[in-house]
Amino acid sequence: MADEETPSDSSLLVIIVDTNPNQRYITEDPKILTNCLDAIISFANSHLMQKSRNQLAVIGCHFHKSEYLYPSPGKPLDVRQIDGQYELFTLVEKTIKMRLVNLIKSQPQDEKPGESLLAGALALALCYIARLRRQSTPGLRISSRILIVTGSTDTAAQYINYMNVFFTAQKQQILIDVCSLDKHLSLLQQGCDITGGLYLKVPSLEGLLQYLLWVFLPEASERTKLVLPGRGRVDYRAACFCHRELLTIGYVCSVCLSVFCKFSPICTTCHTVFKIGGPLPIKPKKKKLKT
Amino acid sequence: MSESSKSKSSLNLNPSPTLQCKDLHEYLKSRSAQFLETLYNYPTICLAVYRELPELARHFVIRLLFVEQPVPQAVVTSWVSQTYAKEQAKSCEALSELSVWQEAPIPGGMPGWMLAQSFKKNLKVALLGGGRPWSMSSSLEPDGKARDVAFLDAYALERWECVLHYMVGSAQTEGISADAVRILLHAGLMTRDAEDGSAVITRAGFQFLLLSTAKQVWLFLQHYLHTAEKRSLSAAECLAFLYQLSFSTLGKDYSTEGMSNNMLVFLQHLREFGLVYQRKRKAGRFYPTRLALNITCVKESGPSVAPLETSPHHQGYIVVETNYRVYAYTQSNLQVALLGLFTELVYRFPNLVVGVLTRESVRQALRGGITAEQIIHYLEQHSHSQMLKSETGGIKSTSMLPPTVVDQIRLWESERNRFTYTEGVVYNQFLSQADFVVLRDYARQQGVLTWQNERSRTMVVRRAGHDDVRKFWKRYSKSS
Amino acid sequence: MADEEDIKEYRWETGYEKTWEAIKEDEDGLVEGLVAEFAQKAARRAVAPRKGPVRLGMMRHLLVAIDCSEAMNCQDLKPSRFLCTLKLLEKFVEEFFDQNPLSQLGLVAMKNKRAERITELSGNVRKHVKAVENLINTPLTGEPSLQNTLEFAGRALRPLPSHASRELLVLFASLTTCDPGDINTTIHSLKTDGIRCSVIGLAAEVRICKKLCQDTGGEYGVVLDDVHYRSLLSEATCPPPRARVLDAGLVKMGFPHSAPVNVQNDPTANADPPITVCMCHLEEGEGVSGEGHLCPQCRSKYCSLPAQCRTCGLTLASAPHLARSYHHLFPVEPYEELLNESQAQYCFACLRLFTDVDKQVYRCKRCLEFYCWECESVVGATLHVCPGCASRPNLYQRLPDTS
Repeated sequence: MADEETPSDSSLLVIIVDTNPNQRYITEDPKILTNCLDAIISFANSHLMQKSRNQLAVIGCHFHKSEYLYPSPGKPLDVRQIDGQYELFTLVEKTIKMRLVNLIKSQPQDEKPGESLLAGALALALCYIARLRRQSTPGLRISSRILIVTGSTDTAAQYINYMNVFFTAQKQQILIDVCSLDKHLSLLQQGCDITGGLYLKVPSLEGLLQYLLWVFLPEASERTKLVLPGRGRVDYRAACFCHRELLTIGYVCSVCLSVFCKFSPICTTCHTVFKIGGPLPIKPKKKKLKT
Repeated sequence: MSESSKSKSSLNLNPSPTLQCKDLHEYLKSRSAQFLETLYNYPTICLAVYRELPELARHFVIRLLFVEQPVPQAVVTSWVSQTYAKEQAKSCEALSELSVWQEAPIPGGMPGWMLAQSFKKNLKVALLGGGRPWSMSSSLEPDGKARDVAFLDAYALERWECVLHYMVGSAQTEGISADAVRILLHAGLMTRDAEDGSAVITRAGFQFLLLSTAKQVWLFLQHYLHTAEKRSLSAAECLAFLYQLSFSTLGKDYSTEGMSNNMLVFLQHLREFGLVYQRKRKAGRFYPTRLALNITCVKESGPSVAPLETSPHHQGYIVVETNYRVYAYTQSNLQVALLGLFTELVYRFPNLVVGVLTRESVRQALRGGITAEQIIHYLEQHSHSQMLKSETGGIKSTSMLPPTVVDQIRLWESERNRFTYTEGVVYNQFLSQADFVVLRDYARQQGVLTWQNERSRTMVVRRAGHDDVRKFWKRYSKSS
Repeated sequence: MADEEDIKEYRWETGYEKTWEAIKEDEDGLVEGLVAEFAQKAARRAVAPRKGPVRLGMMRHLLVAIDCSEAMNCQDLKPSRFLCTLKLLEKFVEEFFDQNPLSQLGLVAMKNKRAERITELSGNVRKHVKAVENLINTPLTGEPSLQNTLEFAGRALRPLPSHASRELLVLFASLTTCDPGDINTTIHSLKTDGIRCSVIGLAAEVRICKKLCQDTGGEYGVVLDDVHYRSLLSEATCPPPRARVLDAGLVKMGFPHSAPVNVQNDPTANADPPITVCMCHLEEGEGVSGEGHLCPQCRSKYCSLPAQCRTCGLTLASAPHLARSYHHLFPVEPYEELLNESQAQYCFACLRLFTDVDKQVYRCKRCLEFYCWECESVVGATLHVCPGCASRPNLYQRLPDTS
């Protein structure tokens, strides 16, 4: 857990690839997924190329479940060099492609693809990072980050999961980077802002690799030195628990901090009964505080 | 009057020249551009060179990797924020030094950068694939007697310690080949004894022993490459092969098929030092060990992480307490002998040695040419994992050693360095007291007088002021 | 809780704990496996599970009283009790606001028989940390007065709104207190006002402190060393179970929206926002900048959140501030502990292979995946998301039951 300035000895990157077939760019042209995947694999290998101690994990996020694409659990594949490529890079490429095929094959045929559950994949990534930190030699400075590459939209349904994941990442000083291939993702952008990662909406899928290499390859200590896209404004409005709408003024239960858009006598979350006339007597008392 | 000039080169002034351990970058820098050009034909070398580059330079290369035209230098400069301009200049310099990129004019007259063709091509091959496979990787039937990682670690350690044992000349020495001895002599780590011609360890040799294993191996191999050309081995080919080894997978076997005769000879040498394991000379397959894999890690040795020590067989074993006691959990005579270089050993048990760091013991080591920094580094590097974990009240110090001990070792070193050396010229044998006084006062006025004694009419003038004082003296003696 | 402890005899009266008998060698005469098991148990005890969604006092008002008497000079904590306290307190302040985003903190110094305010109750992290840093030069003299401190805390906490929790944490190094009157009446009045008092003793257990904590429902701890000190302080950062006396209320709250509202009709929308002074730095005369959060009610600007609007009194927060405590509301269901009978080769979350050392494996009752004990504790203590459930389309939502 090095602070921002000192370069780390080893840098761990977890890439989360959204493979959900209902992403718009895939439904338009299914072949494009292969191109994107190639770009992501090359990016992953470039990360490994930076330092000999760099580490990598890739997680595929499909609509029915998330799974590690690299490393494969248990014994690694037996890979022999076929051309001039560095053996480890070949292993990464082969493993990812093979396991992705298995993941896609395992999708239930009768179910309609739903939302990509990126929060679950993020939780996996955090567990993996926590494990590598536990196992590392004491004294080794590891900097960790997570990169999400997705073309899905984000909805408020996963809000709590997202937030828990973001705060955990923030506490463990793990950056969350997001590379959006399609729409603007306001929730994930909040995650980038909370953890200090970068958010980029790629203008076109052509040259995805170049975007990845330019923006997301530098690790935390190097980012301050390079000129990279800025943070931008982040929308931090709360969504109410009753209708999931974004609010500028709302009511908050003092017991459990649930947000409501209208005053109601009973909190639906913790079942607390509020004092009648709830919000009104508070204000004058609060004012006394400011003396 | 006569003046006698005493000038010493700064190297001689320093009582203990520290052992230089160049990393790959410095090693390559010292070679010719032509040599580099041949090297860049090997994807492995490109990969290794890439990893050795400064961090910003690595990003420059990756950003230029897919660009076919030269890129204006101003554009490259704009990639880095203004506050880090110095680092950016350093990175650019490193890239030019290693001829990774060359200046190329851009239509319109602006200066631009362009990656060296062979470097670009082969780095791409290493990253994305294509090209010919590396020489050692043709596929093999599975090995009936495959060796696991633990075995390889033990083997590598044993072989390498054999070399170190030979250097300290401890009793349990198994002989090492004449080749290895020649390299040790060439490197100045050992020298022929004047009387009986046997090899004895030098000061540099002692310092060598205190380095991390990865550094030792790299230094040793560097000297090997120097002598390689004499044995009609091509240094470039050897280096490329070494780096191929370093990019191989631990615990996997590789084939010797298709390797040239020279390389087979080289492989046998590596086998002797424990960098590769081969069951029989003609086995047709070999296993690289951790020693070979760690060649690339020389530069990035972290605070205490000597790579071989990451293997479970060889963890840190030294505990240092604030009362200067050193506990070493080890059975190896070599490690005990090394510890004995700068500690006073008190007790010895089957798996534990207890010693004390005393002023005398440390001074003895200092006299032997070992520096305080090397002692501290050695203790840090082999610190027991419990030392690494200890933490006080959430306030973690930078070193895991007790600060009192670290400071004291440094103080003991600096008390030996009470002399400061100034180059100067002696003026003596003045004919009269008056002459002496005039010249002395003049020198003092100019602020170049270092020392003077009126009774013996001797004065010392700093080197820089010598010409001036002499001219004055000539004028003065003419006019009087 | 408190009653139970009373019955228990003193530690020196209990029988021997034969700790050495628990250690047994395995067939090879090694204890490694056992040591690993002990470490596992100790780690698991450290993250004792909190049962279900309890009602917590989320809006906390905490006064921290720091002993600045002579007793703080003692060097049994390194470098001295006082410096160690300050160092830990800095971390405590950050951790406190991390855990209790909408709470307020105030610092009080106990010196020379008086209680002096160092900082007012407020939610400004920087201000508190700075105040703690400045304390380093405080001269440590005289005796502390516990009663005066309690009276002071009472005066400061009583006027607070009824839905807010009122708490006092005393870091007490002295073994004596110099009081003007009967401290029992003070304790009684604190109790009736529902002010929860906790004490962390730096020297030895003191009866009056114990009584204070028992009566007001607080926790009393005496530090063993600096590490223990830190863990006692970090316990104080978790929101305590809600006291019964408190009323619940709905608090009106504003969520400032940092993007400019009138993008369409403003020709200079892309230019930097106009430079204005924010309300929090109005007195100091600094803090002039373009960026800021505007109160949705009266449009005054604040440079950091959470804050309370000085003009209209609205509490301003951003959604993540609230979300930080949602894990208390929707905790992960505890995993069930099963004997390792090779049901799974590796942990679902971190891919660690299960070995012989893993005597137990853990299974989530909802997604039925297997986890190692380390991931189990990570999920329960910090992550609060089950990785398996969160990536299943039918399990990921944990909305409150509408029934």
